[in-house]
Amino acid sequence: MRRLSRRALMYLLLSAIAVVFIGPFLIMLSMALKPASQPVFSFPPDLIPRPPVLTWAIEAWTAVPYLRFMLNSVLYCGVGIPIYMLISALTAYPLAVMNFRGRTVVFFLILSTMFLPGELMLIPRFLVVSDLGMADSYAGVLLPGVLSAFGIFLLRQAFSGVPREIVDAARVDGCGEIRIFWRIMMPSVRPTLAVMAIFGFISTWNSFIWPLVVLKDSSKYPISLGVAYLAGVTGTDVRSMAAGTMISVIPVVIFFIIMQRHILDGMKGAVKG
Amino acid sequence: MRAKSSSTGAVGGRWYTPWLFLVPGLTLFGVFFVWPAATAIQLAFYKYDVVTAPVFVGMRNFAHLLEDDRFWSAVRNSLILLVGLLPMSVVIPLLLAVLVNQKLRFIQVYRLIYYLPVVTSMVAVAVAWNYVFHHQGVINWMLTGFGILDEPVQYLLDPNWALAALTVVEGWKGMGTYMMIYLAGLQAIPGDLYEAARMDGANAWQRLRSVTIPLIVPYFAVALTIEMMDAMQVFTSVYVMTKGGPQDHTLTLGYYIWSAAFEQYDMGYASAMGLVLWALLIAFALLNYRLTKGRTV
Repeated sequence: MRRLSRRALMYLLLSAIAVVFIGPFLIMLSMALKPASQPVFSFPPDLIPRPPVLTWAIEAWTAVPYLRFMLNSVLYCGVGIPIYMLISALTAYPLAVMNFRGRTVVFFLILSTMFLPGELMLIPRFLVVSDLGMADSYAGVLLPGVLSAFGIFLLRQAFSGVPREIVDAARVDGCGEIRIFWRIMMPSVRPTLAVMAIFGFISTWNSFIWPLVVLKDSSKYPISLGVAYLAGVTGTDVRSMAAGTMISVIPVVIFFIIMQRHILDGMKGAVKG
Repeated sequence: MRAKSSSTGAVGGRWYTPWLFLVPGLTLFGVFFVWPAATAIQLAFYKYDVVTAPVFVGMRNFAHLLEDDRFWSAVRNSLILLVGLLPMSVVIPLLLAVLVNQKLRFIQVYRLIYYLPVVTSMVAVAVAWNYVFHHQGVINWMLTGFGILDEPVQYLLDPNWALAALTVVEGWKGMGTYMMIYLAGLQAIPGDLYEAARMDGANAWQRLRSVTIPLIVPYFAVALTIEMMDAMQVFTSVYVMTKGGPQDHTLTLGYYIWSAAFEQYDMGYASAMGLVLWALLIAFALLNYRLTKGRTV
């Protein structure tokens, strides 16, 4: 009996905390669904839409090219993340399993970029991207993000953990380096690649400051910028703003719910190294 | 060993094999890290507005920093954020991690919910919190209802509240990350250590103090490093919620650098501030390393 009530208290505590974390989203969701006849704010808060309407969602969706922004974000993720994984893997692989001069230097050079403040790099990267003729282009948004010390670091750990015997056996069988890398090493580090894909997706979908700086043309905006753009267009209309923001959140939340079991594993791998 | 010798250790191939793999990565590294970093250092000594050619000004940008009140408020605000975020990156997430590390049904759902703000964009989070902080919003309703405040406050427009409000939003959004880091740490602790402590008659608090905390110090180090990197670079929340106002009370270093560069087109000055930020980050990283080194079990 005592056990049972302790457990109930624990759930009560966990749920109370959950309200803190999910509350702001629920408030926004309720604003997005309330009909015009129901006030947006009131004391006490009245969160149940009576009845729920999609008016504001449709308004937000049509006020700005929302579908376009979504597709842009899909494009940034769909093209950027595979390149990110491939380049990180190509870079991490020799750093993990080959002995050569300069290996330590290269690795620490790459690691040292972790402490470069993004805001410092913003300006010169913008200038570099402009010099390369990639200002206001999809490539300009994508390319600077495909190399990250974090990904290389994670993959180096993973490649180091692949048993040597497998590689040696493959070499005895006459496998070339590229074949070993692609056919043996890459499949062996699949869990790490999954973690990188998840965090890559979340950060690309949510990226804000870099596309804000690179892009002038709103037709190339990712959805995160689209939300801010919507704020400029809708002005004071809080209901469509709430609806538009909610729409931008849904894909990443769904993705996260599907992928969540990999995240804790990723954290373990990242800290252990 | 000469670089040219054919042996490349455990993995075969010629001496240039590793470099062939490294070419794409190193090229991008050069173009998007080394070149920009070098440009930033150089720019800090120039006046440059993107339109006209850069003019060398020596140390003038740095001299200007010293007497620029806005820069010092930005530094102060960023440091206040850094300190204000500490409880929300060290203490509370550790307790959350202990909570969600229990073997309970549906515990995965709670982990998911606590982590939710991490996966959503800062823009969305800032929009949502705008409504929470609204003068007729839920916080004002609670605080006036409990009699803590006499009247509703416009948190984001009030110089006394704006920075605190921003800290809450940043802290709330980040807590899930730290919770997961600590959770990974907790799950790496062998269960028999707790058994042993229990045998010795240690209660829950004593077990937390003498088993859990010492063993997750390395995880604290990671969490602290992430916290200070993030806190010193806060930008998006400021951009969406306050634009640095009221009267620069939420002007952060990150926002000021962006604003100097892309609103005032003073690239040189912005780069000089960026270098100071870089120095601060390295200093904090070293400090953090010294504080947590040697404590590692």
